[in-house]
Amino acid sequence: MAEPARATASGPGRVLIAVYGVFALSATARAGVQIATRFDEAPLAYLLSALAGVVYVLATIGLAGRGAGARRLAWGAVVFELVGVLVVGTLTVFDTGDFPDDTVWSIYGRGYGFVPLVLPLVGLWWLRHTRPR
Amino acid sequence: MIGALVVVVLVALSALAVYGVVTTVLNRPPDVWTTRAVGVVVALLVVQAAIAAVRVFGGVALPETSTFLIYLVVSVCVLPIATQFATAEPTRWGGAVVAVGAIATAVAVWRLQGLWTAGG
Repeated sequence: MAEPARATASGPGRVLIAVYGVFALSATARAGVQIATRFDEAPLAYLLSALAGVVYVLATIGLAGRGAGARRLAWGAVVFELVGVLVVGTLTVFDTGDFPDDTVWSIYGRGYGFVPLVLPLVGLWWLRHTRPR
Repeated sequence: MIGALVVVVLVALSALAVYGVVTTVLNRPPDVWTTRAVGVVVALLVVQAAIAAVRVFGGVALPETSTFLIYLVVSVCVLPIATQFATAEPTRWGGAVVAVGAIATAVAVWRLQGLWTAGG
């Protein structure tokens, strides 16, 4: 008989959600200020900041929620986040021209202690660890 | 912002983060001392935010006033929310959640201080 999925919002998952929540808050707030006060300076970077913020919000909601829908949302957001930090990180390492201002994913999240690079890996591990089997 | 108060706040936040991690390592849920410590730290943060807000609205010029005010709100709100979330499920991991909130708050206070000195 298949074992049901464990809640992602339980035990150590709550620490993960706390970190995701902090990033959701800081990334969206930062992008909001950037877009509201000086959008013309670096529109691409600021839109990317906003996108990253939305992804962190969705990941937080997905991990904190219950049921298959929330789990799918979390998978999607965390995978997108991993791809985002790898693509943007690589682009910014080789060519800083397109990114005149830092985003949360620039240089693999160096401005945030590389937490943005580690976080999706931990997130994927946790989703796998709690999956139904 | 007041330099001495910033130091006190950062030391208190560090102590809170360490205490949270210690309860997690010792396999204990957040106890009454955790919530008391959070209360004291949040009281300090409220005092700091009130002083800073009064001075900003009193005419202290800052390079990024809106960013400063957002950080000010964040510095006060994160710990109560984190503590609520930490104590909702009383397991060993609650302390680590409080520690995450304390570290995030410390970063916000650090940024506040940076923005303040850039303006002064």
